[in-house]
Amino acid sequence: MVESYKVVFIGEPGAGKTTCVAALSDIEPITTEVPASGELALMKDTTTVAFDYGEMALEGGERLLLYGLPGQERFSFMFEVVRHGLLGIIVLVDASSAHALDGLRETLKTYAKELEHLPWLIAVNKARDSADSLRRACQTLLFQSRLIAPIVTVDARKRESIAHMFEILFTLLEYGDERSREQELLA
Amino acid sequence: MTAQVSTRIRSMAALEELLERSGANAAIIASRDGRPFAEKTRERIGVESGRLAAMASSLAALGDGVLRELSSGALDHVLIEGSGGKFVVCRIPGPHNALVLAVHAGASARLGLVLGQAKACAQTLGTLITVRTETAPRS
Ligand SMILES: Nc1nc2c(ncn2[C@@H]2O[C@H](COP(=O)(O)OP(=O)(O)OP(=O)(O)O)[C@@H](O)[C@H]2O)c(=O)[nH]1
Ligand SMILES: [Mg+2]
Repeated sequence: MVESYKVVFIGEPGAGKTTCVAALSDIEPITTEVPASGELALMKDTTTVAFDYGEMALEGGERLLLYGLPGQERFSFMFEVVRHGLLGIIVLVDASSAHALDGLRETLKTYAKELEHLPWLIAVNKARDSADSLRRACQTLLFQSRLIAPIVTVDARKRESIAHMFEILFTLLEYGDERSREQELLA
Repeated sequence: MTAQVSTRIRSMAALEELLERSGANAAIIASRDGRPFAEKTRERIGVESGRLAAMASSLAALGDGVLRELSSGALDHVLIEGSGGKFVVCRIPGPHNALVLAVHAGASARLGLVLGQAKACAQTLGTLITVRTETAPRS
């Protein structure tokens, strides 16, 4: 059977989760977009209410299964759909938003438990430049929250830009394996 | 009294009637993107309306997706039954399909009754809510 790995995108509404899955997928992505309402409608036309799903072939023949969740906290129950066999989490941050840090803070709070147990990273999206100051602010927030994660800048619309994230995620995973093996040996 | 206020009052009355007739615990009208519009509960069900509305919209969207994949027409309702309760999500007919009705009932409530009353209530709500509500999406 073909080996497959499951990753999930989370982050505030409009961060680019759906865009990411669509850009990476080499099958027609499954989406659950509906018209946005209220405040969100001022920002974008549609929003995800269940999940996005896409698949991507890796060089070794394995398949990467890509999931995007809704951004709002009230949809956090949807994590149950992806929890089983999950390889890692990508937290998207919207650099074009005036409330990017608040969005990140909210996401980190909502998924605190999940982030504790899995490899994850922060991907700053929609950045006009290298987004150094936002990245530093994210770093500070992580430090205050006693969390450690790599921070990268991506363009969610470009496949080659986001592919880099997975290399980091796989590296984290290997390191995590090493560490748990060491702990086993020490135990 | 504005049209919106009277729509809300009449919607609440329809939800009240639904709970009485079906024996359900809670009924909520939600926008398709999961925001609560109106709700009626008989007892504390321990879930806030925002999450209830979100779950209703997720299920409706998944139902839509499955029906689309299977070329099986438009969504009428989604039904979930567990050992301790039931959850039904019905499409409220309307020009934009902007709203859904979600009903939660306990184990003792009769499934056929809950489903039948929920569907009837959704039809009623469809005729009531013809004006654009504040939760309806922009076109
Ligand atoms: N400039 C720029 N725009 C982007 C980028 N990525 C996404 N966008 C745009 O930003 C919006 C993001 O929308 P979605 O991908 O739907 O965001 P989402 O995170 O899935 O949002 P919800 O499902 O509502 O939580 C879209 O209009 C994209 O075209 C990017 O890298 N740069
Ligand atoms: Mg989305």
